[in-house]
Amino acid sequence: MPMPLDDADRLASLLAASATGDRQAFAELYRASSAKLFAVSLRIVRERQLAEEVLQDAFVSIWNHAPDYARAKSAPMTWMAAIVRNRSLDVLRRGAREVEDVDEALASVLVDESAAPARDAERAEQKHAIGDCMGELESDQRQSIALAFFHGLTHSELAQHLRRPLGTVKTHIRRGLARLKDCLDRAGVPGHR
Amino acid sequence: MKRLSPDIKHALAAGYVLGTLRGRARSRFDAMAATDGELARFREQWEAFLVPLAGRVAPVAPPSRVWRAIEARIARPRERGATGIWSSLAFWRWIGAGLAAAAVALLVLSFGLRAPVSTEPLLVAVLATPEQVPRIVVEQPREGLLRLRMVKPWPSMQGRDLELWVIPQEGKPRSLGVVPADRDAEVRLAGLEVKLQGGVAFAVSSEPAGGSPTGQPTGKVLCSGAIARGRRA
Repeated sequence: MPMPLDDADRLASLLAASATGDRQAFAELYRASSAKLFAVSLRIVRERQLAEEVLQDAFVSIWNHAPDYARAKSAPMTWMAAIVRNRSLDVLRRGAREVEDVDEALASVLVDESAAPARDAERAEQKHAIGDCMGELESDQRQSIALAFFHGLTHSELAQHLRRPLGTVKTHIRRGLARLKDCLDRAGVPGHR
Repeated sequence: MKRLSPDIKHALAAGYVLGTLRGRARSRFDAMAATDGELARFREQWEAFLVPLAGRVAPVAPPSRVWRAIEARIARPRERGATGIWSSLAFWRWIGAGLAAAAVALLVLSFGLRAPVSTEPLLVAVLATPEQVPRIVVEQPREGLLRLRMVKPWPSMQGRDLELWVIPQEGKPRSLGVVPADRDAEVRLAGLEVKLQGGVAFAVSSEPAGGSPTGQPTGKVLCSGAIARGRRA
């Protein structure tokens, strides 16, 4: 049985050790989290070469900022994934990709990502309230939010892909986020101070 | 900067974390969050809300060359006692940008004060945020005294203090003490000249009330700028 990737305590202690300059711990942190984080970036930038660069930059940044993690309030995987996502979104150039590719890439994954329940113990662990709350959204809202989140689509890319007016897409996102926030507030999601 | 309502801040933070806020708007958000604690907090909340969704993506093993490249890039030892930011590339880029700002400040000074040479400060530095927003101008009118002019005060530090540091060419930052976040100030320290010796830049970090507990910066660098020395120095 492989160790769960998001064993938060284990990742947190590897981060803490990395903060003190422990390269072995950092290598282990990489082994434990890089496949997940690579996949996160790959979905957004959609080019292996670019995703490799993002992963490299992100891990150098994680190494440099590991001492800051102690002050962060978030789970280790969330903290690292946020770094990877930010880097991915930074390197994306608007209009650099074809919307057609998006259709193909998405057809198979969209439904399970936006609605399906977590499939194994590891995912169940990470499922968090967000999974349930996503399930409460209307399908248009859920689809737009999932596309934006997983694939880094902008409002106008979403409008093209979904063949909807820009204003409609923006409304779906805005209302969807508002409902998510209500739901997550009710669920008492950590992250509040 | 315009005052934003909490609702708008939430909407911006959500767009930031969702990823629909892009390009220049994204950089602007980063700039605002650096000085707006509430906005930064909302972003943290949205990260805690949404980013766990990323756990659903099926893992893809990266090629081994990625780790080799990372290993090579972190081969240089991190300075002990310093937090990540101090050894990060981004920090030294800010310093570089601060140098440009200081050059502009000197230019302005030399235009404005050309005649009475005696009023030219021994040194000057414009401390700017990573986004190049000038926050504090530091001047040394004479030995033993630093004058801090607040260009753009921090509205709320949420119980934290600003600490001023001089960054030497080599070695660790040296503390010049806690400084106010909302008004001009003067720094008079025994041994000020010794501390300033070899200094190439000033930086201001956010620290727990009363200043850094370790004697080294522990919090976020809010602004920084290279030191330009006048002719008298």
